[in-house]
Amino acid sequence: MKVIAMILAGGKGERLYPLTRDRAKPAVPFGAIYRIIDFSLSNCVNSGIRKIYVLTQYKSLSLTRHIQHGWNILPNKLGEFVHVISAQQRIDEHWYRGTADAVFQNIYTLEQERPDLVLILAGDHVYKMDYKRLIQFHLDNKADLTIPVIEMGKGSSKEFGVVEIDQSYRIIGFTEKPPKPETIPDKPGSILVSMGIYVFNTELMVRRLIKDAKTDSQHDFGKNIVPSMVKSDRVFAFPFESGSKEGAYWKDVGTIDAYFEANMDLLSPEPTFDLFDPDWPIYTHEESYPPIKIVLTDKKRGKSYGIALNSIISPGCEIKGGKVGNSLLSPGVKVEAYAEVDSSILLNEVKVGKEAQIRRTIIDKGVRIPDGIKIGFNVEEDAKKFTVTESGIVVIPRWIRM
Amino acid sequence: MVKILVVDDEEHIRLLYKQELSEEGYEVILAENGKECLRKLDEENPDLVILDIRMPVMDGIETLGKIINKKKDIPVILNTAYSSYKDDFMTWAAEAYVVKSYDLAELKTKIKEIIDRKKESS
Repeated sequence: MKVIAMILAGGKGERLYPLTRDRAKPAVPFGAIYRIIDFSLSNCVNSGIRKIYVLTQYKSLSLTRHIQHGWNILPNKLGEFVHVISAQQRIDEHWYRGTADAVFQNIYTLEQERPDLVLILAGDHVYKMDYKRLIQFHLDNKADLTIPVIEMGKGSSKEFGVVEIDQSYRIIGFTEKPPKPETIPDKPGSILVSMGIYVFNTELMVRRLIKDAKTDSQHDFGKNIVPSMVKSDRVFAFPFESGSKEGAYWKDVGTIDAYFEANMDLLSPEPTFDLFDPDWPIYTHEESYPPIKIVLTDKKRGKSYGIALNSIISPGCEIKGGKVGNSLLSPGVKVEAYAEVDSSILLNEVKVGKEAQIRRTIIDKGVRIPDGIKIGFNVEEDAKKFTVTESGIVVIPRWIRM
Repeated sequence: MVKILVVDDEEHIRLLYKQELSEEGYEVILAENGKECLRKLDEENPDLVILDIRMPVMDGIETLGKIINKKKDIPVILNTAYSSYKDDFMTWAAEAYVVKSYDLAELKTKIKEIIDRKKESS
């Protein structure tokens, strides 16, 4: 059984702006040392799917570099690889018009590989899934298409494709983002939503993609391909819970608030989504850094101990007399004396100057926070200079001079 | 009158098709390769394309992909001396695949079928 994965990594991620100002959404850092795409890639590798294409499009430099540096780990000689395919305009002289178009435009790649099954993944979801079980389920049901689904509250129907199934898990209805969704029988408050992941029998997928390419549609899996296949083909729903061993944690970190929350989730002592799982390692690109250093300074105002509480701290971080709490620090972050960082996400090489106070703030790579500055305490003031979300999270973009 | 664009790099084939299909009552226009085909598609707005596969400049399979993106609803009949391309995914985008033969009967039948179907649906 030959399976290839195609990871769609071309979305703009506009709602994650300014984190996506200089990078595609899958390349946005997550969990201190990872990029969002590392989760889908790690799932593939851990599931034994090791022919992986990453389809990129907008702002792909950072993503391509990350994959070249961090994911050059599969032996090509054994037919295993992670290849980045940028939009080539081989068929069409446009950017991809939708998710289905992205795959259709790469039909020549499928042609060369001729897999039995194609696994279509999103490059911007945070979750763990054993795709082996998904594929087994697909084969057991003699399905043409299988879609992992997850149970959610009725209220979230406007964000997802809502699935209706029969007793055998066959999908009998699929509606993209309905205001009034079909709820699960005997669970009136819940719906089953599509996770935007698909296993297709290759030949049938190609036929359906061609048919779609020849019609006026949005060329989108969720909006066009799936609803039409539900009518004509064997489409099944794979309950996500049965493919994940630690409960159903799945996040499409679509907004800054969701991104912030998902990062903060990792700070729980035993999070549902655990990075410290020896059976399901998450791989990434790691540069060499010196070890973490948390030390005291002994200057004008007397001794100041470096402290980090309830936080995730990466290699290369130096906390020299500052205090860090409830935060995630990416590699190479420096926090100087008397500075305080609380409930914040500091990305690579951020430097927080002396006596600065940072609260509920995401600071993008390389930003230097001057001595004595306060951020996250006065929404109105912060909003004059930075992006501030609905729930009051401040985002300080890259390259800013403060 | 139904307008057919015949794309083939061999001149004698183009002339033969032009003569035979004109006798069937079609208006026939010609192109030597895929690139010329795409240009004529814009200029002449044909109702159907008969497309060879092995051609210089731009082959029929690449051309077919571009036709779909340019004009979604224009039917294409692939017409080649080889049956081996039938496995190529992109050839599945054609309305029909007819292997070349000295006798154009099969090709003519397919053309008629497709034109009739098109008339019905419009």
